[in-house]
This record gives sequence, C-alpha cells and structure tokens, in this order.
Amino acid sequence: MLEEKRYQAIIDELWPKLKKKHLYPEIPIPKVGEVTPSAAEEEEQGEAVGLEMKQKQITLNSTFLSRTREKMTEEGVIEALLDHGITHYTFCPWDFHTHLMLYAEAKKVMGDKEMAKQVANYFIDVTADTYCVKKRFTEIPELHRVLKKGAVEKVIASLYEKIWGVDLGILDSKAAKRGHEEIVRRLARIPYLDRSRWPESMKKFARSLKPLLLEEQKEQEAIGGKGDSNPQGDHDLNSYSYEEIDQGLRDFAKKSMALPEFKDIVEDFSEELKEAGYGMEGGMGRGRGAPIDADILFYMKLAESYSIPLRKVPLEKKGYLHPHSHSPWEVGSPFQDMDIWTSFGKIMPGITQIWKKREGKGRGKIEGAPDCLIAIDSSGSMINPRKNLSYAVLGAACAANAYLRNDSKVGVYNFSDAPMGGRDVLNFTDHHEDIYRVLCKYFGGGTALDLEDLVPLIHGRKNLDLFIITDMKITNLESLIGFFAQIQNRITAVHIGENPYAARFQRAVEKKRNISIFTVKRKEDIPHIVLGKINEYFGATCKD
Amino acid sequence: MELYQFIHDHLYFNRPDLEIKGERFNSTILFSLLTGLKKGKELIIGEPGLGKTTSAEFVCSLIYQFPLGVIWGSEVSGHPEQTEEKIVGRPDLGKLNRGEEDVVWTNFSQIPTKIVDEINRLPETKQSMILDGVDRGNWEYLNEMIINEEYCLFATANYQDGGTNTIIAPLVDRFDVMVESRYPGANLSFLIGKSNRKDHILRHVKYEKELHRIFNAKTPYEKKIPLVEEVCNSFGEYIHETLGVKPLQKRDRQQIRLEMDDTDLDQDASAFTRMLLAELSFCDRYGQKRSLENCEEGCHYTGYLCHEIKNCASNRLPISIKQYGQALAWLLEDSEVDIEHVKSVIPYTLAHRTQWKDEIVSQRERSKRDDPFPIFLAKEAVKTVSQRYREQSEHLKDALAVGSKIFQGESLEPLEGDHPLYAEIKKDLSTQRS
Amino acid sequence: MKGNLSTKKGFTGTHDKDNRGIRNPFEEFDTFTFHKTQIPLDQIIESTEVVMDQIRRGYEKLLEEEAKELVWMVQYNTIIKAYEVAEKHVREIDYSAEDIEDFCFALENTQKIPYFIPGPAGLYISALCNYAKEEEILLKLSELKTEINLIGFRLPKGKRLVIEGDAGDFTGIGLEGGELVVEGNTKNWTGAGMRSGKILIKKNIGLHTGEWMMGGEIYVGGRIRGLGNIVEGKVFEREKLVYPGKARHPNLYY
Repeated sequence: MLEEKRYQAIIDELWPKLKKKHLYPEIPIPKVGEVTPSAAEEEEQGEAVGLEMKQKQITLNSTFLSRTREKMTEEGVIEALLDHGITHYTFCPWDFHTHLMLYAEAKKVMGDKEMAKQVANYFIDVTADTYCVKKRFTEIPELHRVLKKGAVEKVIASLYEKIWGVDLGILDSKAAKRGHEEIVRRLARIPYLDRSRWPESMKKFARSLKPLLLEEQKEQEAIGGKGDSNPQGDHDLNSYSYEEIDQGLRDFAKKSMALPEFKDIVEDFSEELKEAGYGMEGGMGRGRGAPIDADILFYMKLAESYSIPLRKVPLEKKGYLHPHSHSPWEVGSPFQDMDIWTSFGKIMPGITQIWKKREGKGRGKIEGAPDCLIAIDSSGSMINPRKNLSYAVLGAACAANAYLRNDSKVGVYNFSDAPMGGRDVLNFTDHHEDIYRVLCKYFGGGTALDLEDLVPLIHGRKNLDLFIITDMKITNLESLIGFFAQIQNRITAVHIGENPYAARFQRAVEKKRNISIFTVKRKEDIPHIVLGKINEYFGATCKD
Repeated sequence: MELYQFIHDHLYFNRPDLEIKGERFNSTILFSLLTGLKKGKELIIGEPGLGKTTSAEFVCSLIYQFPLGVIWGSEVSGHPEQTEEKIVGRPDLGKLNRGEEDVVWTNFSQIPTKIVDEINRLPETKQSMILDGVDRGNWEYLNEMIINEEYCLFATANYQDGGTNTIIAPLVDRFDVMVESRYPGANLSFLIGKSNRKDHILRHVKYEKELHRIFNAKTPYEKKIPLVEEVCNSFGEYIHETLGVKPLQKRDRQQIRLEMDDTDLDQDASAFTRMLLAELSFCDRYGQKRSLENCEEGCHYTGYLCHEIKNCASNRLPISIKQYGQALAWLLEDSEVDIEHVKSVIPYTLAHRTQWKDEIVSQRERSKRDDPFPIFLAKEAVKTVSQRYREQSEHLKDALAVGSKIFQGESLEPLEGDHPLYAEIKKDLSTQRS
Repeated sequence: MKGNLSTKKGFTGTHDKDNRGIRNPFEEFDTFTFHKTQIPLDQIIESTEVVMDQIRRGYEKLLEEEAKELVWMVQYNTIIKAYEVAEKHVREIDYSAEDIEDFCFALENTQKIPYFIPGPAGLYISALCNYAKEEEILLKLSELKTEINLIGFRLPKGKRLVIEGDAGDFTGIGLEGGELVVEGNTKNWTGAGMRSGKILIKKNIGLHTGEWMMGGEIYVGGRIRGLGNIVEGKVFEREKLVYPGKARHPNLYY
C-alpha cells in the first residue's frame, strides 16, 4: 500500500509535465493498482504486465514497478509506461475504428484470429513507441532495454535498435541473429508513422513477422504454455467505451462498405463485444444476451451514417390575434393599436408605441409521423444481403430508421414468390432488431406479391406510408398497380435500374399524386433518395 | 480564485464538471467569473429553477460590489411586452409635459452588470437592442446617450419550448460563451432545499437604498459614477469584514484586465486556434463556408470539420477564445495562455455559434454525454482537431514561421500540407503579394 | 508532406516601404525554429521511397517503349525486346530484394502505379531479380490479387528465387541455370524454353508445362494439367518422373 502511494505521488508529480509533453490529452490522471493477469498467473508466466488502459483510465501495475525498480529508476519506468499508454490514446490506434482496421488487415495475412490479434498488437506497440521516441523526449528505449524478451520481442527490440538508432543490448545466438536479420530488415522498411499507409504497413508487418509467430506458436503448443503477456499491456476492447465501440463499428461499416469483411471482423470480436456489453438486446446494441448477428449489425451501423434528425413537435397556430410586443409608432401609420401606457399618453414620434399582434400559438395536436410499411423485394434478381452489400436493404434500413426516430412504427413485408410462401411479414413494431432481421432475409426465388398479405397490414391504419423497394420485375405487377391505384396512402417506390417493367409501372401511376417513383441509376443514390423523400414528408409536418 | 471558492462553497452549490491544470471547476461559476472580469457576454442555458440567474447575480455582486437588491432591481426580464422604455430609459414625464426632452435612464442601462432573464422570450428587436448596447457600451434614447465604462452581460434562456422565440444566429453569435447551469444532483439539491436562502449575505439595505437614490437622481450619468463607486466600495468593505472575502474594486478590475491583456498566447495555442478556425471556415470549392451552400461529394477535405458544419465561423469567435483564454490563464496564475487553456475555453465559445449538419446531429444526438448537446458536439470537435494538431504541430508551426518569413520579404516557398490551414496561409501570402 | 526551407524562387513577400501598414498575420511565429528530429527510420523510409521511385520510373519507361497504348502481346520477340529494355533500366538502380517485393505490391496500387500490365511487369520483375545483389530472393506474394506472368524469366545460375504464393503464366521461361521455387500454383507454359536450372512448384501447374524446354528440371508437388512439347530435361510430378516417361498426350486433362 505504501509503495502504491509512493508510486501515485510520483505519477502526480510527473503528470503535468507529461500532459504538456503530449499536448494535453483528454484522459484522466493515471492510477496505480493491480492489473490482470493476477499475481499467481504472473508467477507462472514470469513477467508482469506494466499497465492497462480501460476506457481511457491508465492503471500502472505496482508489481511490475517493483520488479523493474532494480534495473531502472521508478520515475523512468513510470514515465516510459505513461508515454506508451498516452500515445496509444493520442496516436495509435486512437480509436476503435483504427483498431478494427488494423486487425482486419492483419487477418488478411495471418488467417488466424488469435495470431491476427497478436500481430496487430505488436504493430500498434511498435508504432506508438516509435512515434513517442521520434516526437517526444522519452524513456521508452530504456524501458525496452530492461524488459524481459521472448523470441518475438527480441526481434522487435532489434528492430528498435535499427530504426531508433539505440543500443538495447540484444544478446542472441549467431544462428538466431542470421534468421532474424532478414525479418528485421523487412520490418525496418515500414513507414510506421504515416497513418495513411497503416493498412498496407500492417499487412507488410504481418507478412514479415508471420514465420516467427508461427514458430513461436508451435513451440508454445509443444510446451503447453499460453505465451507471455505483453508487458506494455494488451490492447483489447476494454480500452474503449461503449460509445467508442459504437462509433468505431459505424465508421468501419461505412469505410469498408463490404459485408463479408465487416461480418468476419465482428464475429471474431463477438465475445469481446458481448463482454463489453455490446450485444443485440434492445435493438440498439446494448446489453448482453443474444449473440451478435453481424449482418444485421452491418446494415444498422451503415444506416446510422445516413440518418436524418428528429422531428420537433409541431406548433399549431390558433387563428386569433393577440397583442404581443411593441414597436415605435411612425407618423402616418394607424394608431388604433396604440398602447397609451407605454406611450405616456402622448402621440408623437419617438414616444408613442403601438402593439404588434401575433397569432396565438400553442402545442398542437401531436399528429406525429405516420407509421410505415416497407415492402422489400428479395427475389433472385436482387442481391443477397447476407453475402454482399445490398443497397436495397440499406435504403430500406434508412427508411426504417427515419420513421423509428420519429417515434413511428414500421412494418415489413419481405417478398419473393409470396403466393408460394416466399415471404415474411413483420407486424408494426418499433423494435429495431426485428425489423432489420426481416429486411435482411433473402428468399432468392421468383418475384410476386400476395396482395392479401398487404391488406390486413394497411387496413385500419390512419395515414400509413408505404415504401416499396424492388427492381420491378414482379410477375403480378398489374395487380400491384391496380392495388396502388385504389389506396390513398403516400407511396414511395424505389426501383433499381431501367427496365420495361419499371417503365410500365411509371406510366401506370404517373397521374397518381400520392405515388412517387425513383429510378436509381447508381446504387449509391438510394440512401440519398430515400432520405430526401422522407425528409420531405417530415418537413411538411414540422413547422418549427 | 478566492471569489470562485467563496461562491462555490457558500452560494452556488454544484458539481465540478471541468478539469484544467489538475484542478476541477464548475463551468458555470468559472465562466461567469471570467465574463465578469473580461467584460464579456455570457448566455446561460438550463432547465427552469437551476440557478441560471442566481449564479450570474452572485458573480456580479462580488466582482462589481453591488448589493443583490440593486442587481435585482436592474434586471430585465424577457417577455414579449418589454419596451425600450423599460430597458433603456424613458422621457422625464414632467419635463415632457412642459415640452422639454430629458431622459430618465433605467438602472439596467446605468449599472455595469447587465442581467437579462430569459432573453429568448424577448422579441428580436429588443434582443438586438440589448446586444448592440452591450457591444458598444452606449445607450441612446431621445438623442441622449450614456456611455458605460465597464459592462458585462449575462443572459439566461430556457431550452427552446413552445411560446418562446429563438435567438437568431446573428444575435446568438454575439455572445462570447454559452454555459449550462446544471442540476446539481439529488444530494446537493436536497442540501440547497434544506438550508436557508443564502442571498441575504450579499444584501445591505442601506447601501441598496443609497444606490437606488443615486441611480434615480436627476444628475448627469458621468457625475453619478464616482458616487456609485464610493457606495460600492463601502459595500465591498462590509462584505470583506462580514464574510472574509474581498470583492473587487474598480482599480482592481482595471489592473486585472491589464494583466490579462498582457498574457499572450503561446505558439501552440495560437497555432491550434488557427487550425480550428481554418477548419470552421474553409471551403475548397466555394472559397469559404456559407450556410446556403452544400458540400460536394468526394471533396478532398471530407475528413475535416468544414464537412460537418453548415455555417462559417465568425470573427467574434477568435476574439472570445483569446479573451477567455487570457482570463483563464490569469485566474490560474499562468504566465502564458497555453493550449490547455484554449482547449478548455473553445467548446463554450463555439457551441452556440456552430450549425451542424443534419447527419452529424442525428448520428450523435443519442450519444451518452454529460453536457447539453451543442456543448458536447463542440467538445468532440475540439478533441478531433486536437488529435490532428498533435500529429502536425511542428510542421504547422513551421508553415506559419515560413509564412512570416515570406511576408517579410524572404524568397521562400510556402510549406505544403493536407490541412486547410496550409491553403489559408498560401491565400494570405498571395493576397499580400498582389 | 513536402517542402521545407529552400532558396528556390517562390513566393516573395513585397516588403517595400509603401506597405508598412499591412500587418504580418504570422508575426508571432518568427521565433519558431523547427527542430526536425530524425531517427534512422526516416532515413530508411526516405531511401526506400527514392529507390521505389526509380524502380517505378523504370517500369513506366518500359511501358512507354514496349506497350504502346497499353497493349502488349506475348510473343518470343516482344518478350526478348521488353526484357532488354527492362535490363537497361534496372542496371541503373541500386536496390535490394525487399524493394522488388514492395514493387510487386505497388503494382496493384493504382494510385502509385496507374498501369499494371502483367507481361511487361513480370519481365521487369524478372530483370530486377536477375540483377539483384542477393543470391537468394524471397518474394512473399500470397496477398497479391493478380498473379504475375513471366516471372523468373532467364533466372541465371547461382540465383535462387522463392515466391510465396501463386504465379501466373510463363513462369520460369528461359531459365538459365537458376533455381525457381513457387510455393503455390502456377498456370500455363511454366518452364517453357528453359535451358537449365531447376523449377520447383509446390502445388499445381497448368498446361503446356515445359514447352520447348531444352534442359533442367521441373518438380511439381501437386498435379500437372498438361505437358508441352519437351525437347530435353526432366519433369517430376509428386516425385515421380513423368518426363521422360510413358508417352503422354501433351494436353492430357484430368
């Protein structure tokens, strides 16, 4: 305890200087405490972990500090560890999206999830330490000199010797040195400090280190060990808050725009995400429980990037005028609205005030946005949303989001060859996850609507909006046209590409004022068109 | 700091929500103090009954040595029927009937500390009138004018609801800072409810009456000022004797302002501010940001703040940043305004001046936060720019240094870089050349 | 980020007496001195970039001379000519084996190298390999999306080229005594026209294997889709000698 207090006092003294050095990062003052793995595990592995970062809170391991005390000054160790930890926050990886991106690139080379995580962690450490050594005055090289090293760590240390120009006292057999020289040479050519090249740098790093990691993995398996923890702390999802994970997934979905890649990564991190509380309960990704459906998460996150804001509660004008405020009276203007009190009984320019009247306003009837029924085509001519990015599903997701954000409910009718059973109906709900689940369903069969499915969904609902996304190659298109002709609901039809069916549909409904049709020439137009139309709908009801 | 501590401990109970230089502060008290010291204009928002007006009153009372009764008597409350006569001054009715023009100035126009309650309920014309007056320190009525030597404005506003006007953008831009007076939490709130009212400690019937008499006297305003000062000094001495805290006299305030003005921004603070301003005003395609122009898809500068906002940063923003940065550095007894001061102050100077794009609003409005949404967005923006600055600081400062050398006649090339600031430096240099 | 202090003619401030009134908005940075901290990594990256630039320019010149309008046909004379041009450019560059691998990946990045034409690219890479200082060259190309054709062309004696990943058509053609190892698959015309040396393909190989080969050995760890018209030399499939061996129709399909 006393030791911990002493270490904390050192941190308190060093902290202002460190903050200034790193240009005032927005992280709280570090603490000293016990850091996992536990003491028993440390004994077994023989090396303590120096620090851990949980949601920006850096905690230094007192055991580690005590052990390194013999080799290096306490202030030096603490400063080096903090420099390292702070640089993870300020430079690499900085956010969860970058972390995911690095992992994704590493996985392309390594193939294996655990090895990809391992190599990504090494890359992150090398980048952070190199940045710190170059840009700030730091004791990190000294720390590396005293840390215990396995085979990989020796190679990394040799790399540091080469790229930092320092002597870290790496003692190695000639044979080992020969084998490692080539790896170090390759690693030394990587532009770690160029953020824009991190994706390719990560792959290069992984490629170069792969043989060594495979070798080490074999050795570990042979002796039945788990491998040493990284003394500078592991980089796992604990470092990020829930909101950072949420934002990171959103950015990653938008950046990659590739469902298989997103899915692969999310599934790899599914355990960690669940432990971080990022499950699928509540439709918003909170809470533990249900396993994460990566496909649904992908469309959810992507659609969030295209959201429109909440509609305000509309105000209604009541129709009567009442005196509201004063304005000066001008010669020649009528004076029946004169306020004799504020005019001091005088009628003269500069003194007399007249009342300006305004229509009374009050909270109107909250009509709210109508509910929406989304009809989405999942026939064989449409893209399977669980295999590749389907802009049709993305468009439907944007529409669903927009209505849900305005406190409306959304029903989904997913159809392929509906009369033959190729359909899924979701009754009106505000449960995100259920809506997305039905949207993402893919039948891949023929294309036909069963209008009898639609009638009960529409019947009895006041002012229901209809949203249909299809390529219009519908077998019973004529019935659909006839059906639309009869109903008065607002209908938005979005179809992809030009084809005779779409033209036929357009011709048939062009006179109907409640139907808007959008031909999407580029798939990228879908979110914009969908949102434009919905924004128009909401704009009409929102006066303030 | 003594004043801050006194208000925090005895008058305005609330949690600290801001950390600067290892010390924790409550933003409402802190920025109100800085506003009072720096002759600024502060907009205080918050739910009804959370101490928006009270916090301003306490600060004004201690900084300007006015008893609370006088401050209350000079407040303008925001309602649509407010008139210029109630805010600025009215004709002397007796003289008016005799055909003479003479103005009876209101307490509001005479007193240096101006508090407007619920400014958003005033019609736009009145809002504009008050902001113009405080901007210039001049109050005019019937061709007569008084000039306030020192003045500061505290305006409160509830969150927008039915029955209120919005403060339009050109007017809200004139406020230096916006802060929220927050709910102090159940425990502190209970404590506030349990204890007796504290405002009596800043009251003094005799001095209040004296000051009312002086303000209402039919003497020229210039002659009233020394009299008011004398009474205020007496009140200040009374406060010092009874409460142990020394309010500020006029010469103290002047001295403080001189010292604040002498505090310069260090190079990092300056470069960082310039970087932020560049991102808030730059548009590669249209020359500058404009509210009615939309961003083009595929613009090279998509990763910067200019892509997330609709409007252009006004020239008042750097003024506010500098003023409050200096004030904060002075308060913390630092010799220079450094980047931490500036980063602490910017969100509050920026929050009310930025119009964010719809997609940004919708992506973030449900984020977990402690601050009201505009301040939260501003803090996030500062964090993002701060990260960019960390990576580029040396090169950016070098670009500015090279710009200076070129400006002075050296034959050099401006440095290249991806950030909008590099483009702005080039523009300035080519403008200067032509 | 480019640019530093230079005395090139560039912007010149008009510091004439008439403009004294204009305030210098950058004045406060007059005292700033840029301390560029260099670590050896900067030097390494810089020299790597320089070499990559030179290699890239050599390739672009090759395309200019040999692939007019970006069209290039695989024929004996075009191969020889393109290789000669490649040799000419490659001899002037001081590079290492890692540079060759980086160049292979750079070919896929259209922002760095706008045109990737597999034939000339392969010949250029072959020239780079043949003239490299190192005797043994390892190219880790598993993540390349496109297989490179004509790699290992005229690999000389004393050189060992190992490719991790797959290679394309015409791999190892005209081999001149070197050892070429491909740890993946190759396509058609592997080892065509080779004179001597050894080709080792760890997985499968395509059609016309060893077409007109005049010596040397080809070892295939997987399956051979089809042998070509071999003049002389040996071909092994899974350690079993298939040429010279039982007569096989050149285009035998499994």
